[in-house]
Amino acid sequence: MKKYFSYLLLICLLQSCKEKYISPATSPATGFLVVEGVINSSAGETNITLSRTTALSSQAVVFETGAKVFVQGEDNSNIALKETTTGHFTVTNLNLNNTKKYRLSIITRDGKTYQSDYSAVRNNPPIDSVSWKREGRDVSLFVNTHDPNNNTKYYQWEYVETWEIHSYYLSTLKYKVGTGTKGATTYSAVYNDSSNYGPDMTKYFCWKTEPSTNIMTGTTTNLASDVINLPLLSIPADSWKLNILYSVNAKQYSLSQGRYEFLQRMKKNTEGTGSVFDAQPSELNSNIHCVSNPNEPVIGFIDVCPVQEKRIYINRKSLPDWNYNQSCSEVEIANVSDSIAIKALFLLPTYPKTDPMTGRIISFFAAPPECVDCKLRGSSTKPSFWP
Amino acid sequence: MKIKKYIFFAFLLLVFSLPSKAQSDTSQKIDLTVNNVSLLELVNKIEAQTDFRFYFDTTQIGNDSYSIQAKRRSLNAVLWEIFTPHNIFFSFDKEQHIFLTKGQLLSVTIPESYFTGQQEKNTTILNNNFIEAEQNNAQETLVDKKIYEVGDKSITTANIVTMAGYIKDARTGEPIAGASIYIDKPRIGATSDQNGYYTISLPRGKHILNIQSLGIRDMKRQLILYSDGKMNIEAIGSIMSLKKVTISAQKLSNVRGTIMGVQKLDIKTVKQVPVVFGEADILRVVTTLPGVKTVGEASTGLNVRGGASDQNLILFNDATIYNPSHFFGMFSAFNPELINNVELYKSSIPANFGGRLSSVLDISSREGNKKEFTGSAGIGLLTSRINIEGPIEKDKSSFILGGRSTYSNWLFKLLPDEYKNSNADFYDLNLIINNQINKNNTVYFTGYISNDHFNLNSDTAYGYGNKNISLKWKHIFTNKFNSLLTTGWDNYGYQINSQKLPLSAYQLSFGIQQTYFKAHFVYNVNSKHAVDFGFNSLYYNLSPGNYEPLGSKSLVVKDIVNNEQALENALYVTDHFTITPKLKLDAGVRFSMYSALGPNSINTYPSGTPLSSDNILKTVSYGNGALMKSYGGPEYRVGLRYVINETLSLKAGYNTQRQYIHSLSNTTAMAPTDIWKLSDPNIKPQVGDQVSIGIYKNAKSNTIETSLELYYKNMNNYLDYKSGAKLVMNHHIETDVLGTEGKAYGVEFLVKKIAGKLNGWISYTWSRVLLRMNDPSAGELINKGEYYPSNYDKPHDLTLIANYKFSHRFSISFNSSYSTGRPITLPIGVFSYGGSLRTLYADRNAYRIPDYFRTDFSMNIEGNHKINQLMHNSWSIGVYNLTGQRNPYSIYYVSEKGAVNGYKLSIFGAAIPYINLNIRFK
Repeated sequence: MKKYFSYLLLICLLQSCKEKYISPATSPATGFLVVEGVINSSAGETNITLSRTTALSSQAVVFETGAKVFVQGEDNSNIALKETTTGHFTVTNLNLNNTKKYRLSIITRDGKTYQSDYSAVRNNPPIDSVSWKREGRDVSLFVNTHDPNNNTKYYQWEYVETWEIHSYYLSTLKYKVGTGTKGATTYSAVYNDSSNYGPDMTKYFCWKTEPSTNIMTGTTTNLASDVINLPLLSIPADSWKLNILYSVNAKQYSLSQGRYEFLQRMKKNTEGTGSVFDAQPSELNSNIHCVSNPNEPVIGFIDVCPVQEKRIYINRKSLPDWNYNQSCSEVEIANVSDSIAIKALFLLPTYPKTDPMTGRIISFFAAPPECVDCKLRGSSTKPSFWP
Repeated sequence: MKIKKYIFFAFLLLVFSLPSKAQSDTSQKIDLTVNNVSLLELVNKIEAQTDFRFYFDTTQIGNDSYSIQAKRRSLNAVLWEIFTPHNIFFSFDKEQHIFLTKGQLLSVTIPESYFTGQQEKNTTILNNNFIEAEQNNAQETLVDKKIYEVGDKSITTANIVTMAGYIKDARTGEPIAGASIYIDKPRIGATSDQNGYYTISLPRGKHILNIQSLGIRDMKRQLILYSDGKMNIEAIGSIMSLKKVTISAQKLSNVRGTIMGVQKLDIKTVKQVPVVFGEADILRVVTTLPGVKTVGEASTGLNVRGGASDQNLILFNDATIYNPSHFFGMFSAFNPELINNVELYKSSIPANFGGRLSSVLDISSREGNKKEFTGSAGIGLLTSRINIEGPIEKDKSSFILGGRSTYSNWLFKLLPDEYKNSNADFYDLNLIINNQINKNNTVYFTGYISNDHFNLNSDTAYGYGNKNISLKWKHIFTNKFNSLLTTGWDNYGYQINSQKLPLSAYQLSFGIQQTYFKAHFVYNVNSKHAVDFGFNSLYYNLSPGNYEPLGSKSLVVKDIVNNEQALENALYVTDHFTITPKLKLDAGVRFSMYSALGPNSINTYPSGTPLSSDNILKTVSYGNGALMKSYGGPEYRVGLRYVINETLSLKAGYNTQRQYIHSLSNTTAMAPTDIWKLSDPNIKPQVGDQVSIGIYKNAKSNTIETSLELYYKNMNNYLDYKSGAKLVMNHHIETDVLGTEGKAYGVEFLVKKIAGKLNGWISYTWSRVLLRMNDPSAGELINKGEYYPSNYDKPHDLTLIANYKFSHRFSISFNSSYSTGRPITLPIGVFSYGGSLRTLYADRNAYRIPDYFRTDFSMNIEGNHKINQLMHNSWSIGVYNLTGQRNPYSIYYVSEKGAVNGYKLSIFGAAIPYINLNIRFK
């Protein structure tokens, strides 16, 4: 009933009657354990994240650190995961036996044991392709998969987007901060590299990486064959993501009906509830239980499957009409401490005007920092996979 | 025999001005000797010796002269001797009045209560010309000076005789339904049925018959009953108001009627209440009555005394309307110009109705004008309508044709680009024909179509509609016995289609069809017993879902959920038993029998285990027409009334209900995509019972009605959905629903001023509705098996409706309502999952949205009232939500950019002005 509801919103839009609401409800102090992840039965990484539920008002994630996490098989195999960063546990090369069932076992710092139900290793066909097309001026990406055996039925996708960023201006200068007479701070613009007067390329080439924030699921239960062609994401017209080179890596999981249900409910609970035409929020059907206290709520549903990945690139060249405009402009500043202090401390210097005789920097151009230093918008470390 | 007017007035005057308390002994002895004197002289002599006073009409009595010689003889004997030779009858009353009439005896026992009843307002009567009293005095009673004789004078055997006939509007010939017809001494009454037909058993002799109803002036008619006979009554509406009559409802019926928990509204009342966008809306006004709630503004789902929105039987001229709303619930699907009245039964439901747990909303249309062609048109901001009516054969048959449509698309043009491609339309059409074949046979035809279509930015298109046809035949066998046969066909369906993604383009459709036959008989056995009986037969054919590919590229597999069929039969009988004039009992029983029929496939589950898809034992196939499961049982409908005095009565009622069709929704309101499900071997019928008591008091000549009602109600097998239930296209829906039990109780208080320049009502309800699911074998408990408030549990509810009439042409209306916020399931915490913060929910319905408050105002301006002009215009101008209160419609939480934010949404965030033009033409 999402659409139906949006109509009501629409009448309302004329009058702006949507307001922030602060809930009177209070949450339990310690929080309940939240387990996120899938056991990757193939050679790739298995990533499990442990955290705690928190009060509504606190928007920070409280990770659960110091737990011992294991992948346990019916055959008594027991493989430990390693905590890489707080609350994130990883193991690679599990290469599980497809005929056995596996579960996740967690012993938290406070000594409580949590176990997921044993799950069979599920089939997960490779992603056929991630395709894109223009829809109007936007770019839409689709994921295409098929299972020749027609038995995967439930899918989940996650993706990580990466795109290259170039600063609007190259910068050969930086500010030098000194101490003048009477102890006052002085400023001057100097070359980054006085040996070749060249630009600082670490401020020019950057990469931005962003993971997906939606739960994307799909099912083929109502289709004649197990064929998926679903929108993965959409990039709005003239977005900075496609200004140079863009890449997306899609991960595909196959789901049990239980985990599909779990994700659907979570999605419905968060992404649209409360209106009269939306479904009422519902309880989550976790498959993880606290061994010592079965009534303790635990949030999480662990499945076992090989994780399939697919990466594609989209080059700006294939989008001739893409028109990202960062709207940057620069001003000329005299290379005098006072004028820098007054006019240019919130800007970054780009290139100089020099005295042709002495080579001294008489004045320089300066622009807003985000037009000059791309590290403010991304990372200067080139991803390993980047071409 | 005629009593001349001036005598009548003299009489009244004396009755009220001479409160003589002397004994009225007609056996007292007098001495009288006269010879050839005039009547005047004679009576002077008698009056000189006694406390008696004579009343007569000299023109009627004539100029005879009288002679008598009497010594110490009783007054009675003296009068007898004097007057008998002159064919003059005399009669006495307790007030020592002697009435002389020529040729006919005047019964003085009847007027007694009538006149005592009038005493409070005697000044009004005395100051006005009694017959031609001022038109707009709503309290005035019209007494027909004519005396009607009914029956054959020569038949003298029967002591109790039955009179029957039609009550019609004198101007348009339309029948007046629900009119009360009664005499005061002894208290005997009847009500006209929806065709205006009444039947009443009265003692032989002279009576003053009271006729009261919505939309007509109260009347009293003097009549003399000799034997069984017929009398048609032409009632007079207000000349000024052209179908919108000032006189309000049933002044005494709330004290006198046996039925409790019934609310009746006439269309005039409905039209006065300000509504959003100015389109008079029946359902919206019904929600202002005590015990009726709605979950929010954009919803016409009613919750009556704690019932769900699918537990109301909504009938339009006997046709069941499954979806009574248009345009996202902003409008009801009933054209206000065609409606005559609306009755809501919420506790004592008459035995001829059945099949729903909470209430019956019985909407009846008008009949077309039988005398001349007229029409009306209305123009509003979003909708307009036109109606035409007139005789097919003058005074015998008429038609009325009405249609409404919307032009709301301009609204979308004002909205941001993302809604540019949206549209929403609706229309409804009504055709009502009636034909009086002869005085004993009348047939009625009703056709109704409504359709809604909306499309939000070309992604998914929705459409739904009702189609109904009904045919009624009223036959009068005798004055005491008549029948009403009805047959018809109802259809409701919806379609959803989406074409955006060619591979998964689909069309989903749902439909209900039902065919019914109803036979209803009314037999007035005698003045103590009136019996209704009959049977209903209803055949359901429901297609729960057709999911089909749309377009050649679509990979969607055609999926059809098996059609469901069922037959619901019911036999009923009710005795309206007047035990004593003060104590009346309505005892009814309805025996309903339901059969779920093949062809279908039904899953069986091991007993004692949850119905889940993992637990299916086997699937049994049934052939065409095979009986799969039957349910049934008696439903008791009992009402008792005890009149303490003229203006005060007590009532009690008990009734049971069974419901075999359920709407399944995991949304709070009635949404067009809700599906309906018939009971089958896995889904039991809902069963409910209700006990209620009430006290009713009228004041100020019955112009102020007060009532206080208490009720307690049980509901069983009410379907709630499991967490994460899938309701659409589910082949084994029993695995996704839970049968819950519920209890509802409350107190309803109503004060209604029904006449005068200022009229309206205040209603207050305190009530609770609690549900419980505590059967562990169902697999899942809601809130650990404890009672939890239902979605529409709103304990306090206060409504004020006030109308003030400055003149015939200008009136204002004011409406204000307050209620507790509805329960909601709120998140109690957040957690991170899938790259976003997600919400953790508390128990179902553990919190409430903020309280609701709204005030509306409207002005109604009539054009001039010259009767002979072709067009009559009226304007209604108003403001909905005058205070601009941002009433929360819902609270919802969304995950936005990784954070969970709560929002409060109001449908109307500001005051909404509106204007409507109504035109009536001939």
